[in-house]
Amino acid sequence: MMLSRIADSLFWIGRYMERADNTARILDVNYHMLLEQPPDTYKLRWDPLIAVTGERARFYKTFEEASAQTAFDFLGFSEDNPNSIAQCIVQARENARTIRDRISRELWEDINSLYYKIIKLRENNEDLSRFCDAVKRGGHRFHGVCDATLARDEGWHFVESGCVLERAEMTARILDVHYHQLLEGPPVLNEARSHLWMAVLKSVAAYEFYKRENTMIEPTRVAQLLLLDARHPRSVRFNVGALQSSLHAISGSVPGTYANEAERLTGKMHEMLTYDSIDEIFAGGLHNYLTELQEMCRSIGDEITRAYLNYAVTA
Amino acid sequence: MSSVAETVPTNQFPPDQLLFDGYDPGSFYDEMVAPNGEPRLFTAPMYNKLAAMPLEVFEERRKLADLSYLVQGITFTVYSDGRGTERLFPFDLVPRIIPRSEWDVIERGLAQRVTALNLYLRDIYGPQRILKDRIIPQHLVYSCKHFRREMVGLHVPRDIYVHVAGIDLVRDSRSGQYLVLEDNARSPSGISYVLENRLVMRRTFPRAFELCEVLPVDHYPAELVKILRSLSPRSGERPVIVLLTPGLYNSAYFEHCFLAQEMGIELVEGRDLVVVDDVVYMKTIHGLTRVDVIYRRVDDDFLDPLAFRAGSLVGVPGLMNAYRAGNIALANAVGTGVADDKAIYAYVPAFIRYYMGEDPILQNAETYLCSKPDQLSYVLEHLPELVVKAVGESGGYGMLMGPSSDKKTIEDFRQRLVADPRNYIAQPVIPLSRVPSYDPTTGTMSPRHVDLRPYCLYDGEKVTIVPGGLTRVALQKGSLVVNSSQGGGSKDTWVLRGDD
Repeated sequence: MMLSRIADSLFWIGRYMERADNTARILDVNYHMLLEQPPDTYKLRWDPLIAVTGERARFYKTFEEASAQTAFDFLGFSEDNPNSIAQCIVQARENARTIRDRISRELWEDINSLYYKIIKLRENNEDLSRFCDAVKRGGHRFHGVCDATLARDEGWHFVESGCVLERAEMTARILDVHYHQLLEGPPVLNEARSHLWMAVLKSVAAYEFYKRENTMIEPTRVAQLLLLDARHPRSVRFNVGALQSSLHAISGSVPGTYANEAERLTGKMHEMLTYDSIDEIFAGGLHNYLTELQEMCRSIGDEITRAYLNYAVTA
Repeated sequence: MSSVAETVPTNQFPPDQLLFDGYDPGSFYDEMVAPNGEPRLFTAPMYNKLAAMPLEVFEERRKLADLSYLVQGITFTVYSDGRGTERLFPFDLVPRIIPRSEWDVIERGLAQRVTALNLYLRDIYGPQRILKDRIIPQHLVYSCKHFRREMVGLHVPRDIYVHVAGIDLVRDSRSGQYLVLEDNARSPSGISYVLENRLVMRRTFPRAFELCEVLPVDHYPAELVKILRSLSPRSGERPVIVLLTPGLYNSAYFEHCFLAQEMGIELVEGRDLVVVDDVVYMKTIHGLTRVDVIYRRVDDDFLDPLAFRAGSLVGVPGLMNAYRAGNIALANAVGTGVADDKAIYAYVPAFIRYYMGEDPILQNAETYLCSKPDQLSYVLEHLPELVVKAVGESGGYGMLMGPSSDKKTIEDFRQRLVADPRNYIAQPVIPLSRVPSYDPTTGTMSPRHVDLRPYCLYDGEKVTIVPGGLTRVALQKGSLVVNSSQGGGSKDTWVLRGDD
C-alpha cells in the first residue's frame, strides 16, 4: 500500500537528484574544455549550456552575457532558477523531509548532509570544479545509499523511475545542444571538434568506454553509444529499459503488455532505441530524433503522474 | 537556517575548572542539589559523574549530541519573521531526575485528572448534569472558543474523548509541591523529544544508565497504537490507522513523521484523504483504500472545511459527516478544547470531586478568572506581579509576564482585559524549581527554571503514562518561560526504579 503523494515525492527525489548531478557534469566538463580554447570561442560556448537546461529566457533576465562565472552562478546556485543545482537539492531535501518516515534514516541523513554541504561550499566561495565534484560525489552517494538501504518495494521503483527518466532526457539534451553548437556555431577546427565530442563523452562518464572500442572520435559513433548502447548506464536506451522494468514492477503487468499509457509509451520508445540504426537516425536528422526522444520523456512523465500520482476521484 | 551550538574554545576557562565549581542552588528549589550544596541522595551518582568530568570531555559530548539532532533534522519551525525558520530545539545534557516515590504520586494525580476530564467531556456533550447541578456556570462552558455544538449528542467510540493529554506541571519552590499549570487536551506535542532525548542521552552517557536504573520510555508509540486500534468501527478487519498532519510547514512535523513511523501507520495530509458516501478513503497508487481511525494532529477548526472553517486546505471535506455516521474514529475527539480552556481549568478540581467523589491529588495553581468582576478588579490592580494568559491559546502565545514586562505592554494588556475579560485568566508568578544546566559562556553549571509535561494515554478504563515526560528548561538566566517558541530548551527526564 503506497499513498500517491508519497510515490510522487519519491519520484521527484529521484528526478531532482539526477538533475543536480547532470547539471554539475555539464558545467564541469564545459569549463575544463574551454580552458584550452581560444578566448573568442570561449564566450560563445557558454550560451548553449544555458539552453540545455531550458532556462535561457530566465538567464538573460538577470545576466547580460553567458560566461563561466555567470553560468556557474545561474546553474549552480541561483534561487531564481528552479533548476539550479542548489535548488534541485533543496527540492530533493524538501521531498525527503516530507516523507522521512518512509525512507531509510540513512538516506534522509545523506540528502540532509548534502544540503548543508552545498550551503557551506557557497559560503566559502569554492570554485566551480570543487563544487561540481562535491555534487557528483553526492549523486554517487545517493545512488549507493538507495541501493544499500531501500527495500525493493514500489517506493524504490518510483525513485528509480524518477532517476532513469531524468537521466534519459538529460543525455538526449546534452547530445542535442552540443550537436547544435557544431552545426550552428562558428566554424571550428577539426581538432576542436573532436575536443567537443570528447567533452560530451566525459560529461556522461562514457569516454573510457568509448575509447575501448573506438580509436577515432566520430560523431556517429558517439551518438550511437549515448543513444543506442544497451550496456552503458547513461545511454538513453539503457535508461528507458530500466524505466520499463520499474513500471512493470509497479503495475504488475507482464513484459510485452501494458497497464497504462506510461507503460505503452515507454515500451514504444524502447523498441525505437532497440531497432533504429544510427545511420537511419542521421539520415532523418539527429536533431529531429533527439527532439522526439525529449518529447517522449516529457509525455511519459505526464502519464506516470496521471496513472499513479495525481488521478481524479469521482465522489 | 539552523546551526550547531557554537564551538567554545575550552582553553578560555581555568585549566582545572570543574563543571560544578561555584554552583549555588540559591533560594529556589533545586531538583539536583540540596540547599547545603551537596547532591540529593537519588541524584548523587549522576552528579558525581558530571562533577568529576573534565570540561573538554563534556564539551565533546555536547557537540556530538547537537550534531546528531542536526543531521537527523530534528528541528522545529518558528514563525517570527513571516516565513518559517528551522531551528534546533536546544537540548541540555543534565537530566532532571525524579525518585520513584515522588513519581508514584504524580502518576496517580495525573490518572485521576485525565479520567475526570473525560467524564466531564462525556457529560458536556451528553446529559450535561454538571450544568444542571450548577457546579460550573453554563455561560462559561458555552462561551469557550473550542466548544463544539456539533458534538452534542454524538456518540464517540468507547466514550473516549481525550486519548492523549499533556498535563503541564511545575514544582513550587515555596512548598516543594507539584502543581498543575495547564491541561492540554487537544493535540499536545513534544513526545518525540522525550523519546529522542532519551536516545541521545543513552548514547552520550551509557554508563550512567547502568548506574542509575532509569525507567524506560520507549513503549509510548506501542501503547498509543494499541488504543487507536481499539477504536476501529469495523470489527473483524485489520484496522487502517493514519496520522493526519497539517504538513511539512507545521512546527511539529518532525514529531508527526516520527510517531507515524514508530507506530507503523500511514502519515497523511488532508489531500491524501477523500470522503465518498460518508466513508473515508486514502488515495494510493493502486486506487482508494478505506481508513478506520485517524490520529489527527490538525486542530478542530481546520479538520473539515465543510463543517468548520471554510477554505481550510489541510482538512478533509466531509470528514465530520463520516464521523457522525460512525464510519471513522478520531483521536482526540472533536471538541476537547472545552476541557483545556484556561478558564475551565480552574474547575477541574471540582470535576474530580463531582464525578469521582475524590479529593484532587495534584493541586491547581492559584488562578483568577477575569470573567468574575471581583477577580478582574484584583487582577487589574496587581498586573505587574501576575502572569496573564489568554484562555484559548497555547505555546506561550498571548501571554503577559507581569514582573518582566515594561509599562507599555502592561497597559496594552490592561485594555485587552477590560475589553474581553472572559478571554483571560491570571496567576501569581510561581517560583519554579530549577535544575543545573550547562552555560557555555562560563563553562560551568548554572541553575535554570524547569517545568514538566508528562504524556497521558487513556483507553477508556485506565490511564497509562510513560515515566517522566518532557522537561522544558528556560535557558535564559532568570527566565521563567520554557516554551520552545520563546527560547526554551529541553532535558531528558529520568524516573528512577527506586528512591536512591
